Amino acid sequence: MPAETYSVGLPVEIGQIDRELKKLWAEGEGAMTRASHINLAVYSEEPGSLARNTEILSQITENHACRAIVIGADSSTKQDRVEAWISAHCHISGSGAKRICSEQISFLLEGASVKLLPSIVFSQLDSDLPLYLWWQSDFAQPMDSQLWAWIDRLIYDSQTWRDFDGQMQLVETAQREAKQRIVLCDLNWTRLVHFRLAFAQFFDHPASHHHFDEIENGSVVFGRGYRSTAILFVGWLAARLGWEISQALTSERLDLKNRAGKSLRIDLQEKEGPAISSFMAQSGGLEFCVNIASCGDLLEVCRGARGENHTHQLLPSGESDPVALVTEELMRGGPHQVYLSAIEKVRSLL
Amino acid sequence: MSEGAEISQSNPLRMGLSTRAVPQPCALVIFGATGDLTHRKLIPALYNLAAAGELPPAVTVIGFARRPKKDDEFRDDLAQTTKQFSRQPVRDEIWKTFAQSLFYHQSEFDDEKGYQSLRKRLEQVDKERGTRGNRLFYFAAAPEQFEPILKNLKAAGLNKAAEGGGWARVIIEKPFGRDLASARELNRVVRDAFSEDQTYRIDHFLGKETAQNILVLRFANAIFEPIWNARYIDHVQITAAETLGVEARAGYYETAGALRDMVQNHMLQLLCLVAMEPPTDLGADSIRDEKVKVVRSLRRYAPQQVGTYVVRGQYTAGAVSGKPVVGYREEEKVNPNSETETYVALRMLVDNWRWSDVPIYVRVGKRLPKSATEISVHFKRAPMVLFNRDSTALDQNVLVIRIQPDEGISLRMMAKIPGTSLRIEPVKMDFHYGTSFGKASPEAYERLLLDAMSGDPTLFARRDEVEEAWAFIDPIEHAWSQKENAPPLSFYPAGSWGPEEADELLANDGRTWRRL
Repeated sequence: MPAETYSVGLPVEIGQIDRELKKLWAEGEGAMTRASHINLAVYSEEPGSLARNTEILSQITENHACRAIVIGADSSTKQDRVEAWISAHCHISGSGAKRICSEQISFLLEGASVKLLPSIVFSQLDSDLPLYLWWQSDFAQPMDSQLWAWIDRLIYDSQTWRDFDGQMQLVETAQREAKQRIVLCDLNWTRLVHFRLAFAQFFDHPASHHHFDEIENGSVVFGRGYRSTAILFVGWLAARLGWEISQALTSERLDLKNRAGKSLRIDLQEKEGPAISSFMAQSGGLEFCVNIASCGDLLEVCRGARGENHTHQLLPSGESDPVALVTEELMRGGPHQVYLSAIEKVRSLL
Repeated sequence: MSEGAEISQSNPLRMGLSTRAVPQPCALVIFGATGDLTHRKLIPALYNLAAAGELPPAVTVIGFARRPKKDDEFRDDLAQTTKQFSRQPVRDEIWKTFAQSLFYHQSEFDDEKGYQSLRKRLEQVDKERGTRGNRLFYFAAAPEQFEPILKNLKAAGLNKAAEGGGWARVIIEKPFGRDLASARELNRVVRDAFSEDQTYRIDHFLGKETAQNILVLRFANAIFEPIWNARYIDHVQITAAETLGVEARAGYYETAGALRDMVQNHMLQLLCLVAMEPPTDLGADSIRDEKVKVVRSLRRYAPQQVGTYVVRGQYTAGAVSGKPVVGYREEEKVNPNSETETYVALRMLVDNWRWSDVPIYVRVGKRLPKSATEISVHFKRAPMVLFNRDSTALDQNVLVIRIQPDEGISLRMMAKIPGTSLRIEPVKMDFHYGTSFGKASPEAYERLLLDAMSGDPTLFARRDEVEEAWAFIDPIEHAWSQKENAPPLSFYPAGSWGPEEADELLANDGRTWRRL
């Protein structure tokens, strides 16, 4: 029966995958249910990615049963080679009554075989289910229009991009050329969900909306390597509140103008720690703070007069590892207009 | 659109983050704060909402009850029970912050002074915690206390928005009366203090994920609606089976019985969701308008028909899951000559175009072999040609909506058994929530509390729904209470699927209960 393991599983001939999968299930014992509500393809060019992604998928499938197609690619080798494996991720259901299993098909593509990617993905899709492609590498030109035409959601992490604008242009071109709508899911944006929720909740009542035009300054503390995450956060505020970037004086300070033309300043501070560890905004005599709590996995929010002890509240902070981010993303769904408008505000800074 | 939805949409920072109306900061006053409901359901639900970040930080809970208790004692008690009953493990850091929002207010329910001091306390909470004059009163006390509570709330001016804005709402737990007259009287008393749009009658069945999914299944899928009518549907069965007996509720159950306890509210709500016409939109009143039309269309029983179309039963000693159990009349606090029904089965008809002559069979019972609540829609058989030509008729297609446990949907259809001969057998296509979505569904009370705080009454019963439901139930209760010629009470051994008369109810129509 399929074993819960982080190995890529049983080696199989490409042309025999369907047959071998059937055998795999036929050998299963006891109450075992195969489940799938999406096709989740994961593509990486990192050495050793197959095993790492198998481990990640074993955790993602706890919450999202799927047909997983894991692809490790290395176009630098001279020899053309395609290898395939099949495996299953099984979990005990919430009620404890069933073993729920998701199947995984893994491929290693080397040399010119990397170009076979679309045909490999398409031939293994669970029919009628949406295709989510998690692209873990930089996008390369030219983008394969045949591949993009089938994708429903494209998952990537812009935090790892060195050239944001160049990469984003490739994604946008692919999105335009695709015959169907592709929803863009940037995990760097997903990282901000709980911070955005925590800050947004201060302003649920219309009586607090005057602060939108009265925020004078703010500060974001971000971890090493997460400057783009902090900039995206500012982009979100700017897009939602109608701010415009006047200039980025230094890499630590942004000058903006609000809807009324009033100046405000956002300081960016890099500090060892999580992607974003703190955001504070000042409006009139009030401070609005969102900080990572001392326990590390909750957000502490506070609102009060400057310099006074504020009432604190704890909210979920979410986690920032790939499993948690993708799980969160799969849970949320929906188009990302707000993301695109945030990008537009700060594109030049990313 | 609800007020909460407006507030949510007016916050530009919420765009793309929230798909539901955002609850507003408020003070939640629970009457009957030392009772079971508060400890087992309400506070665990509020804690889970707080832990998920779905509760505005300013939300403040004031427990109102008779027993003398300090805030800290109240918090300690709730900490214990929340650890026991919360669907998620309780984290100390979150509980510590959450507990700071819990307060206790000691008063008799009929003591006017207690409400004056409650008012002062609420005003103080508004200032200190930012609840903005929003008050939600939850009646978790015994029904006989509702009237004094409502009168005193009104006398203290707590039934209206506080000065400077805010809102006041009341959540009422069932039973909403025990017949039409008492329901009308209760509604009158409630209306005397709170208007209909301030009143939220809670039926926790409507907060269940699968109950909400009935409308999604019917109206978000194009394949079902065209066949969802008398032309294609043979009959519908709605079952709510419990292995449990009356447990600690014998006192209440003796005066209620299965018909009042389950059919008047939960079963009729499920029936409405199955039978209603598509609403014009998803607004609370659009949905509730369609539901009330269904209840109004239920064919009322004439007194002499009750014995034919309604079966009442009571369990006798038997065994459930291999354990011997006593009969109902032997239960503690139950009259040894009790005539209270622990089982009821009904054959109902909805007199409208869509459901003309399609029987809807409803059964609820205690001490049955397993616990399950589900709706099964039985389609008409394929025509007697081709595969149906032989004398052995094929099984019907059956669409099953499992409300609890193992929430999901299955469809039974016919398939050829592989082989050289033509043998056809039923097979099942099965969707399980737990299989496709690993995330646990929130408890019904979580969703409903959040909706009440957001001002969304969609999943709460409206006054006319409740009254129409009683208008349907009353003739049955009336027939049962007759001294002469009352339809007999049948008996069934605990652990069986109910009295034989219930089987006959369907057998008379050439049908059988679905095997669960």
